[in-house]
Amino acid sequence: MVRRSTGEAPRNPGFVSVLLVGAAAATLLPILWLLLIAFQRPRAIVTPGWAFDFSLSNFQEIFGPRAVYGTQVLNSVVLVLAATAITLVIAAFAAYSLSQLGWSRRVVNITLASAALLQVIPPMTLVPGLYVTMQQLDLLGSLWGLVVLNTVFNLPFAVILIKIYFDTVPGELRESAAVDGASEFAAFWRIMVPLAAPGIAAVAIFTAIQVWNEFLFGLVFTTGGREAPITVGIATLIQPQEIPFGPMAAVGAVTAIPIIVLAVVANRQIVTGLTGGAVKG
Amino acid sequence: MTTVGQAVRAEAGTSARSRTRRRPSAFKVLSLLPLVLVLVALVGYPVGQLVWLSFGDVRLAGGDLLWDFVALDNYARMLDDETFRTSLYNSLVFIVFSVALTLVLGIALALATDRLVRGQQLVQNLLLWPAVLAPVVISVSWLLVLSPQVGLLNEVLRSVGISPQAWLGEPVGAMASVVVVDVWHWTPIVFLLIYTALRALDPSVLEAASIDGASYAATVRHIVLPLLTPAIIGAVAIRVLMGVKVFDEMYLLTFGGPGTATTVISIYLRSVFFESFRYGYGAALSITVELLVLGVMFALILLRRVLRVVRGA
Repeated sequence: MVRRSTGEAPRNPGFVSVLLVGAAAATLLPILWLLLIAFQRPRAIVTPGWAFDFSLSNFQEIFGPRAVYGTQVLNSVVLVLAATAITLVIAAFAAYSLSQLGWSRRVVNITLASAALLQVIPPMTLVPGLYVTMQQLDLLGSLWGLVVLNTVFNLPFAVILIKIYFDTVPGELRESAAVDGASEFAAFWRIMVPLAAPGIAAVAIFTAIQVWNEFLFGLVFTTGGREAPITVGIATLIQPQEIPFGPMAAVGAVTAIPIIVLAVVANRQIVTGLTGGAVKG
Repeated sequence: MTTVGQAVRAEAGTSARSRTRRRPSAFKVLSLLPLVLVLVALVGYPVGQLVWLSFGDVRLAGGDLLWDFVALDNYARMLDDETFRTSLYNSLVFIVFSVALTLVLGIALALATDRLVRGQQLVQNLLLWPAVLAPVVISVSWLLVLSPQVGLLNEVLRSVGISPQAWLGEPVGAMASVVVVDVWHWTPIVFLLIYTALRALDPSVLEAASIDGASYAATVRHIVLPLLTPAIIGAVAIRVLMGVKVFDEMYLLTFGGPGTATTVISIYLRSVFFESFRYGYGAALSITVELLVLGVMFALILLRRVLRVVRGA
């Protein structure tokens, strides 16, 4: 912004370039090192020195017939699809209701405040109460239990962000739809949802990333076996005695790559998610 | 209110809006109901369970929870719990260092990116990667960087003749390591918040400054940073909350150790509940932490109101 004012040459200032190149290198190095070790032959990993011996053996090991990691990746995919879909449906209806359907200010504020509180409280402090609840619902140690929990903990943000988008839609639109004889559901689905589509898309991508990355609930509400998501699978590889570095890096790479692809192609939605979520807490 | 009500009644049936005001339609109720039910069943009810657990001596016997009322014993026990105090202290140290460092780096990167003539989009895209990666993946990456056997850092040190170091194996090194990892993970969010605020500033203010002949450094110090204060305060609040919640990286990189050197609040809570099986006590600790977080938050909100009133007067 400052640059526009003065008559600087169209060239990036030197110290700025140095700082940003340094930051980019610091960002990339740990990720590249992970990928490098994932594709390195196990013996070469522990040998000191810089020799690189390309091999797919780590991936063959983790996706071999006796390993659980393939199942866990599938679990994570199912978890992401189910939790994101349920979150979006509940949040879109609720956000629309709170924004457009004339609830009293008190109802709106209480609902939003309780949603915001959930964003503030450390999830670990809720685990004892959730544990008892999950046990009573017979959802302990199942993927569906995780679908429920991920939905609950992503709903507050989803409702708050989608509501921001519905708030910008003039109420007259809904009224004229009603005059034209459209049902309330039709007005919501055919007129309002498309208008809030950018917000809903941002929430979808952001929620999907959060669910894919989730670790704490997976750790405490599953046993880490065939019903666990892949994030918990990685944790089982980190053992105090001897860490199998190659397979661990390979599972890490498998978990990282879809997210990096999203970070590149859906950057705009991620930015909306990160800033919107941050603004609202 | 009465006049509005009368007006609505007078016009009853003439427009869709007045109809919904008089009696909530089925759609109005049904659209909000799922959210309310989910919050009540999976937040309200568990919090109730948590309170109930915290007043009891709770044991697990054959899949059933046995609960004996012990009043405030669990809360009283907290007073001589040295590990709890250590975990609060560790969380505080972790928060102070990681928040301060992410703030300085995030602001610097935002200012630098804003000065770029070309490639802003590319830089913004790349710098955000760590913020969307799974904490588990980040922990694995950094374990591979810090490990004494295969670590990148030690390979580099070895190349220049320094023997490998086990940073994660000694108390100060372990805390410093998890701070570094957290800074790597979350500098992007500070960067993004500040950068977004920076782009939204009114260019004419900055132009006026440079016409007055102010140097870039002076402009940043006296004009840009004061204008960014709300964004900076917001970023600090978010980062502090993240610091209170932190769990994954400690669990994976140090498991709270060595000893209790990196046992932060969430790590300690997990061990009380899942290793010592002290359910009642764990619940009491959880409620205390929740009240602490909410208390500090409300105190800050109140303080801001008071300051605003004082300044306004």
